[in-house]
Amino acid sequence: MGAHHFHPPGHGHSRLHHAPAELKLAGALGLVLTVVLLPRDRWAGLLVVTVILAGLLAASQMPWRWLWKRLLLLEPLVLGVAGLMLFQPGGGKIFAVVLFKANLCLLTTLLLSSTTPFTELLRVLQRLRVPWLFVTTLTLMHRYLFVLAEESERMRRARASRTFTRGRRFQWQALSSVAGQLFVRASERAERIYNAMCARGWK
Amino acid sequence: MNAIEITDLKYRYHDGTEALRGISFRVLPGECIALLGPNGSGKSTLLLHLNGLLPEKPAAGAVKIYGQPVTAENLESIRRQVGLVFQDPDDQLFCPTVAEDVAFGPQQLGLGAAEIAGRVKNALAQVGLAGFEARATHHLSHGEKRRACLAGVLACEPGVLVLDEPTSDLDPRGRREFKAMLRRLPATKLMATHDLELAVELCARTIILDHGEMIADGRTVELLSDEKLMLAHGLERPHILHHLHPH
Repeated sequence: MGAHHFHPPGHGHSRLHHAPAELKLAGALGLVLTVVLLPRDRWAGLLVVTVILAGLLAASQMPWRWLWKRLLLLEPLVLGVAGLMLFQPGGGKIFAVVLFKANLCLLTTLLLSSTTPFTELLRVLQRLRVPWLFVTTLTLMHRYLFVLAEESERMRRARASRTFTRGRRFQWQALSSVAGQLFVRASERAERIYNAMCARGWK
Repeated sequence: MNAIEITDLKYRYHDGTEALRGISFRVLPGECIALLGPNGSGKSTLLLHLNGLLPEKPAAGAVKIYGQPVTAENLESIRRQVGLVFQDPDDQLFCPTVAEDVAFGPQQLGLGAAEIAGRVKNALAQVGLAGFEARATHHLSHGEKRRACLAGVLACEPGVLVLDEPTSDLDPRGRREFKAMLRRLPATKLMATHDLELAVELCARTIILDHGEMIADGRTVELLSDEKLMLAHGLERPHILHHLHPH
């Protein structure tokens, strides 16, 4: 996965892109809470949320394909949680509701994150007096996501350039070693970053 | 008073590797010194000592900055005086935007908002990055990242500037500009480098390390002209000396 995967495409000039980050964060939180708190049989309520979300999606001018791909990427997690519902009596219906609700929540957060720069969201969190440790952790995570993505992309290329066999098993083995390497490099980098922070007076 | 004073410094990593074996030297305020040596000679370890950044205490010896020993109690004041520019800019630029990163040090110093804004503006102007305030740090070119790192350190106004491989991975123009920038800075400078031309052009004095030992300490031109000495320690006589001092 390269760093470009994190950059949402699109023009970035829609009304939704220009709306204040505070408003978008509050709106997204409101939508997610409504979806979560709606009882299972209130399909009408869920339909209203769906229509609102569809309207916002259209207003955002985001490419549907891009959003769809992101949603698919997160689907295994949703299926993992929703799948558990199948093991209880009448599970089929609950499964469908949970799946639908989870996807609405995911779409809301995808829309928020693709129309609002992450740095703006962090600033809103800071203004809302969210504990600094939490905000700092998020800030560092966002900053180094790109570095790690670029590092893994370089490692993938280096591996691909010396991979002469198409054997699946070999590829999985190589992939697991890359993942291990990436973990070691990330932890070493974390140590260096901490040193750099201390060098500039971090207490 | 000496800006840096290192006396018989010995350091061993927790795996038993002896990284420094009795290093001693003094640096006067305003001096610019090159620290040369092959990979693994202990250059970076020595630099980390100047800011008290290693987890274990030295096995022996002492490091003093303007007469103040580098100890756990003095770390805050030591780090105010010594600005460390790391080798990989990505390690050092941990904030989302350039302005936030440059402001990090002054914020830690507990300065007021107006003073911080002034220092950020000043530091960015010094490194030629005025107007880059709102740029995302991960979108900068390698050369710009290096300058932003230097700005982040300059904003703390340190008396001693310590640089680890300041010109590595820079293109010729980036290297030239970075050198010119370093030359303009009045602080005491100690730089670990493999860039021998940088050493000749900027540093009147050079210290050579190998296997954690101090091999030589003297005038840069004299040491780097000594081909036998250079080759014995994984270095070479730089081409620039052939032009400046053909014999």
